[in-house]
Amino acid sequence: MKTDVVGSRVLREDSWGKVFGQTKFPADVNLPNQLYGVVVRSPHPHARILSINSEEAMKLAGVAAVLTAKDVPHNSHGVLFRDQPVIADYVRMVGDPVAVVGAETMEIAREAAERIRVDYEILPPIFDPEEAMKPEVPSLHPELQPTNVLYHLPIRRGSLEEGWVKSDVVVEQVYKTPHVDHAFLQPEAVLAYLDERGHMVVQTATQYAHYDRGEIAHALGFRYSQVQVKTLAVGGAFGGREDISLQIIAALLALKTQRAVKMENTREESFYSHSKRHPMTMYYKTGAARDGKLVALQAKIIGDAGAYASWSVNVLRKSAVHATGPYAIPNVEIDSFAVFTNNPFTGAMRGFGAAQTVLAYESQMDLLAKKLGISPLEIRLRNCFQVGSITATGQELTSSVPLDQCLAKIAPYFRSEVETL
Amino acid sequence: MKKRGIGLGCAWYGTGYGNGFPDVSSAFVEIHDDGSATVLTGAVDVGQGSSSIFAQIAAEELGLRAEDICVNTADTDVTPDSGTTAATRQTYNTGNAVLKAVRQAKSRLLTFAAREFSCPTPEGIELKAGYIGVKGDPSRRMILGYMVFKARLNGERFISAESSTARSTPVDLTSGQGAPYWPYSFGCQAAEVEVDTETGKVKVLKVIAVHDVGKALNPTQVEGQIAGGVTQGIGYALLEELELQKGMIKNPAFSSYLIPTALDVPKIEAYFVEEAEESGPYGAKGLGEPAMLPTVAAVINAIDDAVGVRITALPATPEKILQALAEKKEELG
Repeated sequence: MKTDVVGSRVLREDSWGKVFGQTKFPADVNLPNQLYGVVVRSPHPHARILSINSEEAMKLAGVAAVLTAKDVPHNSHGVLFRDQPVIADYVRMVGDPVAVVGAETMEIAREAAERIRVDYEILPPIFDPEEAMKPEVPSLHPELQPTNVLYHLPIRRGSLEEGWVKSDVVVEQVYKTPHVDHAFLQPEAVLAYLDERGHMVVQTATQYAHYDRGEIAHALGFRYSQVQVKTLAVGGAFGGREDISLQIIAALLALKTQRAVKMENTREESFYSHSKRHPMTMYYKTGAARDGKLVALQAKIIGDAGAYASWSVNVLRKSAVHATGPYAIPNVEIDSFAVFTNNPFTGAMRGFGAAQTVLAYESQMDLLAKKLGISPLEIRLRNCFQVGSITATGQELTSSVPLDQCLAKIAPYFRSEVETL
Repeated sequence: MKKRGIGLGCAWYGTGYGNGFPDVSSAFVEIHDDGSATVLTGAVDVGQGSSSIFAQIAAEELGLRAEDICVNTADTDVTPDSGTTAATRQTYNTGNAVLKAVRQAKSRLLTFAAREFSCPTPEGIELKAGYIGVKGDPSRRMILGYMVFKARLNGERFISAESSTARSTPVDLTSGQGAPYWPYSFGCQAAEVEVDTETGKVKVLKVIAVHDVGKALNPTQVEGQIAGGVTQGIGYALLEELELQKGMIKNPAFSSYLIPTALDVPKIEAYFVEEAEESGPYGAKGLGEPAMLPTVAAVINAIDDAVGVRITALPATPEKILQALAEKKEELG
């Protein structure tokens, strides 16, 4: 199809404002007479809160309010399950919000936050997902699962036994990936206020304004139509702005004080107030026949969900579905697990579970190629998906599968390398 | 000694929420009396450029320029819900919703214009370069805005609302069988690295990235996604790791949590393959996430090619490489 505008190098309308510094990010918007909000976060990974003493904080001139779990009308939020407290009375990770201060200046708010005394009953934490999986370990979320295994997806196709018989070479290896932060440039910031209609207005940077609206409305007991979330310029997201961070807390403070509320994370606070990329341990065993064709894959993938579910179910599902790489393998046994621990909660990040598995399946391809005595390019050409290929989940790829064309474009770089050797 | 190597990485990515989760995008369109138009959608532009893509789609359909289209997004009092800017879904999914909405408004405009021009069928009307007229008859055309204004005098407005839903089915919980995502996006990258065997430091010299995009709706933005993805992939391969001690983050600062800086970004050659995905707007599919996926494998495989050690735990820090080199030396005796 011939097109004029589609396919052309149209300049982005937002580029001028960004280049000239006119773009408004949420940190740039303020209202006269606004309060500043600061969150008090738990230093413990697993604890029950026995009491909170805010007397010393309230004595400070300029402190308008200190809010705790009991001040939240409906104290939960979450993208898949509402398993995360807005303000915690039971702590499952370092950084869980346990109180919120509203004050006339940011400095007063920070000083007041320091003066709040929280009495914790420390509970035994668990950090290793493979330990946490064991049935005798108490579940961190008994309301969701009786053990810490939040999710297990098995994928079964063909016969692994047959696959190993057909394998002339087998490579077995364990791969590990770490917790990763989205490291977006703009820390979380929110401006929240009640407008002349009595509606809650929340200006922020998010990946999904309508989701934020629903969670704010739920927690505060508002109708959707009484909450307006307006997205200002987003300074990077990468999945780290899918879960709620400060939105509900700021709105709650605005509701309780009937004042506009401004909140802005420091970088350190930002590290504690959004999800992380799942660290994964991936046990891989892959077999190929002498002709270079993959015939068997056994994979076990364990992902650390951390303290809350967030998108862990979907992320580990994606890991399992993509575990073969873009290759046809007839005999497959894949098991992926999402496991609760007292580590920082993990959720969406660019690649969403399919980023970790690339390390495993593509390392296996190179190791197999070496054993078979063929080039890395050759083994991929012999196995890559085409139109009509069937994936490990039994899905037929019916159109637009041009990996062979992509490889053809990159092939000259590898051929010239061979010539110079 | 500095040793060079080249590595290859391939990846695939099922786009959309997947697994039968309702994956719906919506858009409102209004064509104005002056020949400009407004698109309203909940889709947040997080910096990747989705708003420009929607302007291009609307402009293409209406025979206008992208700057004639105002795209308003992500204000819940004003715009319809379009799902998360995630899952590599906005160009594909909201792009489809915008396309459906603009075509709905356009079809009523064409019907009105056919009557005005006494043309027997709306198929005989075209929108081009800001004009509306009868195909192949330059004497029967007028400025688009004037036609829209004429319609107002007749009590007709060109306003539309549409939604688009991606296709996917849930996988079986005991066998994993099903069709969880559609469409899938593919890509491969090659990385050339230099490994310093004295310090263990890896320098990425060049990355060649080839990605399947269905149709590049805006090639500059395709290149931008690839450059950003490769850079993030290099960080994942070589630098980034949250250090935890009893659940406490030991490096919650950019001085200790290292991400690539401009000096770490190599020469990037970005290419794309266009094989239309029939269910996408103009054949397009998403590239947001796939752009970063192959990089980590290309870099890790290149390290092996350069110095013969296999790093199996990210990130490939100088310490890990020196240790692997020492172990290899020991093995060789």
